[in-house]
Amino acid sequence: MNAKPVTALPTISASAIGVAPVRYADHTLPNGLRAVLVPDRRVPSVAINIAYRVGGKDDPPGRSGFAHLFEHLMFKGTSRTAPETMDRLTEDVGGFNNAFTSEDITNYYEVVPSNHLERLLWAEADRLASLTVNEENFATERDVVIGEYDQRVLAEPYGMLDELVNREAYRVHPYGRGVIGSPAELNAASLDDVVAFHATYYRPDNAVLVVAGDLDADETLAMIERWFGPIPTPSTPIPRVRAVEPPQTAERTYEYRAANVPLPAAEEAYHIPAASHPDAAALDVLETLLGSGRSSRFYTSLVYDKQVATNAYAAADLREQPGLFGVRVTCARGVALADARAALEQELERVRTAPPDELELARVRTQIASSVVRSRQTHSGVALELVRAITERGDPELVNGDLARYLAVTGDDVMRVARTYLRPENRSVVEYLPA
Amino acid sequence: MNGGASTIPVAGPPHDATLPAPVERVLDNGLRVVAFSLRNLPLVAAQLVVGCGGAAEREDEAGLAALVAALLTQGTTTHSATEIAAASDALGARLIAASGYDASIVSASATTPAFAQVFALLEDVVRRPAFAPREVDRVQTKSISDLALTYANPSALARQVAHRVAYGGAPYGHPLAGTATTLAALTRDRVAWFHERFYRPDDATLVIGGDLEVDEAFALAERVLGTWRAPSTPIGERPHGEIPPPRAHVAIVDKPDAGRTALITGRVTIERRSPDYYPATVATAVLSGYSGRLNQEIRVKRGLSYGAGVSLAARRQRGTFFSSTLVDHTRAAEATEVTLATIRSLAETPATDEDLVTRKATVTGGFFRSIETIDGIAGALAEHVLYDVPLAELNSYAHRVQDVDAESVRAFAARGLVPDNFVVLVGDASKFADDVTRAHGDVRVIPYDRLDLGSPTLGG
Repeated sequence: MNAKPVTALPTISASAIGVAPVRYADHTLPNGLRAVLVPDRRVPSVAINIAYRVGGKDDPPGRSGFAHLFEHLMFKGTSRTAPETMDRLTEDVGGFNNAFTSEDITNYYEVVPSNHLERLLWAEADRLASLTVNEENFATERDVVIGEYDQRVLAEPYGMLDELVNREAYRVHPYGRGVIGSPAELNAASLDDVVAFHATYYRPDNAVLVVAGDLDADETLAMIERWFGPIPTPSTPIPRVRAVEPPQTAERTYEYRAANVPLPAAEEAYHIPAASHPDAAALDVLETLLGSGRSSRFYTSLVYDKQVATNAYAAADLREQPGLFGVRVTCARGVALADARAALEQELERVRTAPPDELELARVRTQIASSVVRSRQTHSGVALELVRAITERGDPELVNGDLARYLAVTGDDVMRVARTYLRPENRSVVEYLPA
Repeated sequence: MNGGASTIPVAGPPHDATLPAPVERVLDNGLRVVAFSLRNLPLVAAQLVVGCGGAAEREDEAGLAALVAALLTQGTTTHSATEIAAASDALGARLIAASGYDASIVSASATTPAFAQVFALLEDVVRRPAFAPREVDRVQTKSISDLALTYANPSALARQVAHRVAYGGAPYGHPLAGTATTLAALTRDRVAWFHERFYRPDDATLVIGGDLEVDEAFALAERVLGTWRAPSTPIGERPHGEIPPPRAHVAIVDKPDAGRTALITGRVTIERRSPDYYPATVATAVLSGYSGRLNQEIRVKRGLSYGAGVSLAARRQRGTFFSSTLVDHTRAAEATEVTLATIRSLAETPATDEDLVTRKATVTGGFFRSIETIDGIAGALAEHVLYDVPLAELNSYAHRVQDVDAESVRAFAARGLVPDNFVVLVGDASKFADDVTRAHGDVRVIPYDRLDLGSPTLGG
């Protein structure tokens, strides 16, 4: 006899998923360094994240890509340490380290066995206080970054797409320059630029330090005070981007052709408000509704039913300053881009004109709640969530309120944000075609 | 600026890590169940490992095992593809079926309150796939579209070419994803045959664990999968083919539109159950990673690429050791020589003790991070099951790595990583083929539009 097959379609409510609150200690040192500590003893390792509020948008004029180049130079040693010291302190004891530069922040992170925590705090304080860069390692690292550009932007089949989308969408705001920059402007950078950049942005009051894992909050705070406490804060103000992108009033379209494009693709990018805006939660819900999972509207319609796309995504790219809601489609073989885009437009029109029903919203809420539980399995997942909450929205406690905010989003909210932001005159389209 | 202090603090004693102990039992229908309990987060995961994958398919049916796996979630006799997708997403679950060379794995994971329901879905897709002709057509067409994306990426294409170069017509030579020709020729009958033949409880293992007690896990396995009956046909022998001996030769795929040249060198090396597995793992770590020898030579010393590394894929039969990097076309010949010399250096000069201490720490650290999540533990256990490695080895992994000494790494490198490395280059051949030919006599250049991954000799 066969087992009884499943008959009714299963579902659970997002509120049934026990998402435990993140418990943390939050301190600001007299020199302005913000330190957030999350004791969690499940696994004997710690994740250290130190984020500086400087990213691609803060690149000096004529120096696009500089914040990212600078990130590389932070691994080249200090007056007290040799180049690659971070690798010795992490890889060599079974940990790892890396960094990323986004439009808004440069985030350095390490995961190490917890008995090594203080050594990494020392090293992070050291490179904040006393970075030294010489002509030789500056030149080598610039070549490495140009190599990264070649690999990620030139060699990857859709590598230029993100760069083009940002460039088309922003005419005034420096988000239009992207993060990786251009080889020509990277080659124009000098060692003097490096020194000035470090002095301008790498200061305790422009940093957020988050440590999560096998730690004692009081002991860790004492370590942080010991190593970061003596670093002075300059009295000069930190320059901030004040540019405001004027509202877009007409659709922009840019066509790009290259030999290495296997299938036609397009991205439509719509201006949306900053991550701290009250509509952010509804935009995240809209992203999941349209593009996450095989029951999402894009997959069901474009990939499964009509078979015009081999994939289709939505991404609410919420940033510290007004960001973009991107929808991207890659054609199925033999399908014209116009047909795939028409199918995409139908789905956008559907969500602009009718609210999703409760069943669909329940699905989206459960997907979001489950992904929060998954990402919190690791210390680094928890640490990065806190870094983003603080740097993009100004308050770590937001991580404990996000789920409630998602649960409060109604079908009408979703329709309203789709109608408000996903308007043709508010979008920039990049069509990416084979040569 | 000043501040900070001149000397780095010393590390204190390490804190202990504990791993859940797996417990196993065999159900009456022959299904082996491996259960573990780890109750610190509200997540449960299951992986059903079915003992055959792409290695069991014929050359002219490349992609069959992958197509079967992809179709499991595309409709059963009780639920449509759309319903399965809707249910899985509504549970916030992951329900994924995929096929490797040696096995097919169906995995399900979800938060604790949703798990029993997604586990029931797993049972449904494993036992009652409908293979509706419309779904077979749809997945075939999409798989062929996806190949275009893979081939446009020089690194991904080079990996498929490297498998052919290493194995020719032996079991791991053909592309798991198939080719446009083999995929188009597959039929619904062949899909159903493969499922009927290889998805059976007496040749499968269920790994299940996370936020539940092991007794609950066994009870759930029994209730949901206990009535799954094995077919009367015998399991039969595992696919086993003669693997050709390593041979030093160069295959260049001329693809002038590639942004950069993908370079892979390598060789067939050990099987997963080999006593050499741990020395091989440490040897791989000495060469790989940011601080590994290869990246030091390629990126840090010469700026030839953004990164370079090596990987070991030990399988049921002898698997692969590959180096890989992506370089400017004009420097591909230089990168080839640097790579081969760097790998050779490990066979000639033993790693220093200092080197070994740190690279072993990298291996064990990476291992502990990989089992930080419930899915990660389930995956590690599934790998042990798949290669018939005793489960107890999971808990002794770190000790076994620590026991590897410099001489065993050198000795393994000398017989397992050299000599006779093949070289695969995918890029604009006009910029490097002459230089490569001068250095290596045995060079073959295949224009991209004449490349046939479906052929043991790559066509051309």
